[in-house]
Amino acid sequence: MPSPANIISLAAIRETLAAHFPEAIPLPVRHWATGWAEIDALEGGVPHNAVTELCGPAACGGFFLHQVLASLQERRELAALVDGGHSFDPGSHDAGAFSRLLTVFCKTAEQSVKVTDLLLRDGNLPLVLLDLQMVPLRGLGRIPSSTWHRFQRLVERSGTALVVMTPQPIVEAARLRITLRAGWSLAALKRPRRELFEHIQAQVYRRGKQVTPMEELHSRIA
Amino acid sequence: MSWFAAILLPQFSLQAALRWHEEAWLQPIAILEGDTEKGRVLEMTEPAERSGVWRGMVPTQALARCPALRLVQRSHAQEEVVSALLLETTGALSPFIEATAEGLCAADLRQIKTRDWEQWAGAAVERFATRELRAQIGVASNPDLAALAARHAKPTLIVQHPEAFLAGVALSEVDSSPDLIAVLHDWGIHHLGELARLPRSELSERLGPAAGALWEQAAGRAQRELRLVRPPEVFWEACDFEHPIETTEPLLFILRRQLEQLTLRLDEAYRVAAQMTLTILLEPGPSHVAAGPDRYERIFTVPSPTGDAEVLFRILHTHLESLQLAQQPIGVRLRIEPVVADRSQFQLFESPLRDPNRFGETLGRLAALVGTENVGVVQLEDTHQPDRFQLATPDFQKLAESQKAGPSESRTLGLPLRRFRPPFPAHVRFQRHVPIWFSSPKAQGEVIDAAGPYRASGQWWDHHAWSIEEWDIELSGGALYRISRCRGSCFLEGCYDA
Repeated sequence: MPSPANIISLAAIRETLAAHFPEAIPLPVRHWATGWAEIDALEGGVPHNAVTELCGPAACGGFFLHQVLASLQERRELAALVDGGHSFDPGSHDAGAFSRLLTVFCKTAEQSVKVTDLLLRDGNLPLVLLDLQMVPLRGLGRIPSSTWHRFQRLVERSGTALVVMTPQPIVEAARLRITLRAGWSLAALKRPRRELFEHIQAQVYRRGKQVTPMEELHSRIA
Repeated sequence: MSWFAAILLPQFSLQAALRWHEEAWLQPIAILEGDTEKGRVLEMTEPAERSGVWRGMVPTQALARCPALRLVQRSHAQEEVVSALLLETTGALSPFIEATAEGLCAADLRQIKTRDWEQWAGAAVERFATRELRAQIGVASNPDLAALAARHAKPTLIVQHPEAFLAGVALSEVDSSPDLIAVLHDWGIHHLGELARLPRSELSERLGPAAGALWEQAAGRAQRELRLVRPPEVFWEACDFEHPIETTEPLLFILRRQLEQLTLRLDEAYRVAAQMTLTILLEPGPSHVAAGPDRYERIFTVPSPTGDAEVLFRILHTHLESLQLAQQPIGVRLRIEPVVADRSQFQLFESPLRDPNRFGETLGRLAALVGTENVGVVQLEDTHQPDRFQLATPDFQKLAESQKAGPSESRTLGLPLRRFRPPFPAHVRFQRHVPIWFSSPKAQGEVIDAAGPYRASGQWWDHHAWSIEEWDIELSGGALYRISRCRGSCFLEGCYDA
């Protein structure tokens, strides 16, 4: 039965709203699969158009970087690493993906923020890693919280996935926070790295609330 | 009947010098041949001429006639650019062209289908105007007649009846022997029309073959072949400043206009810019100071060759924003290396950069912010010395085409190291070459477990010889570090987990 002319369809209202308030209509969420089963099982990876915070000790950040380098090589993607502590050790990683990783060494946290800002505004690279794990806490404290909200707006526009690696939670605007924990002994230095992943405990928080694989499954079914 | 065109750039030196300053034509300005004190006036603008400034005057005479007169040095670089531009633009009008003289070109119009020469010449003048040049064009049945017509053109002149046109042309306008002209003046002959009325054979008998050639010209019958040249495909612009400049704004203003001109020419040649060479001429320093370089030169590779003036300008602008020069700029040259535009489609399974030129610009900004040595892609050096690598300029566009995709099989062991740069000095107590106690500004404590020493050395054959011992240690608190000993001193190199 044809609908009367004076009845506006819901789809038409949505289209009108989307045209007038584009920022209010959420973009389809894409994810950068990290290859880290625990993270990918929950969210599908690191979300594009959003800021993700990765908290944990320096070693865990190094493991995440290892996974990113492997995924760059596998997917022929490009990424940037903004190294706030000038601590990235190329000798600890496979050199195969280095040509796909733009590396920027910074002297201060403030400089790291400026560099990240430029890369997000550029929008050419789909993944930007801001590594602040080796930056002194005093330096991290000087980063205004408005910075993270600005970054969130920038990635929403450019579709970049921004991962901020920190020693403790500081990114208020993070849509996703991944906390990594592990304890190592000297014996770990002689074991294959892929075996060591099993010892890292990852907890994922979405907007401050912890997400478990079961909850994620239920929310998707719902 | 064959037709020829002559394209003349009147006041050639003045046009070259004032090409980027249209407003200067309304001011009394004179171009000097030679340096300011001993030079002589070569050409002058109309306001200067109205004030009584003549060609050949010394600067003091000219300034006495016109106190407001601005004396400008002749710029040979800018004249070279304009000469090339004249040839290039004429070459776009006809394939058969001749570089007749400075600021004068001739073109054979045999392949031009139109016979409406007035309209053709008007369009050609417009074309020169887009290059910021004022051209006068004469069209006639032979090259010499066309050249004479170009001198009388306002701005175009088509000579349909040579006799009528030549009758009013003065003898002094023709390029001939001054002695011969003087004799003809003594005879009371001052115009070509008067000369053409004399019998040719008797004139040649009395004054020689040069007089016969002059008569042919006066009668409009002088025919000659053009000495054909190929227009150079060189895309460069030059500008010399009247005074040294102190800020970047005037430099950017000139560079933008130069880029607009160059991209217009590139577009007409179906080319795009692949590389730009910027040369800034610098003011010589004071005599008591050691002379620095007289120029600053920088080559910019355009990541994705383009003919977009705005994109090219942004590349220059980004660089000039952070550029600091020891001396003030007195001139600028910009040269573009053209390539054929590359039409490539994005590939389905590739992820090259969305906007390579924007990315190139961002790289420039990053380099300005953190230093060139701190931006790039890691390239490991061919050595076993720890922490030796360089950062090279990324070339992601070529990377996408060259490398094959596929899962990487990691063979790395252990935990990734985080380095301290520079390493912290440390005090280490050893017992039988095994560290048992450790202290540094970053951490200290009893060493409960240690692995090592891992010894490495190299380049023992030259003065870059190095030798290092490394240990991985676990402190009583559970933290894992790497320490090293080099030339008797110990260092904290990095941490695995702290």
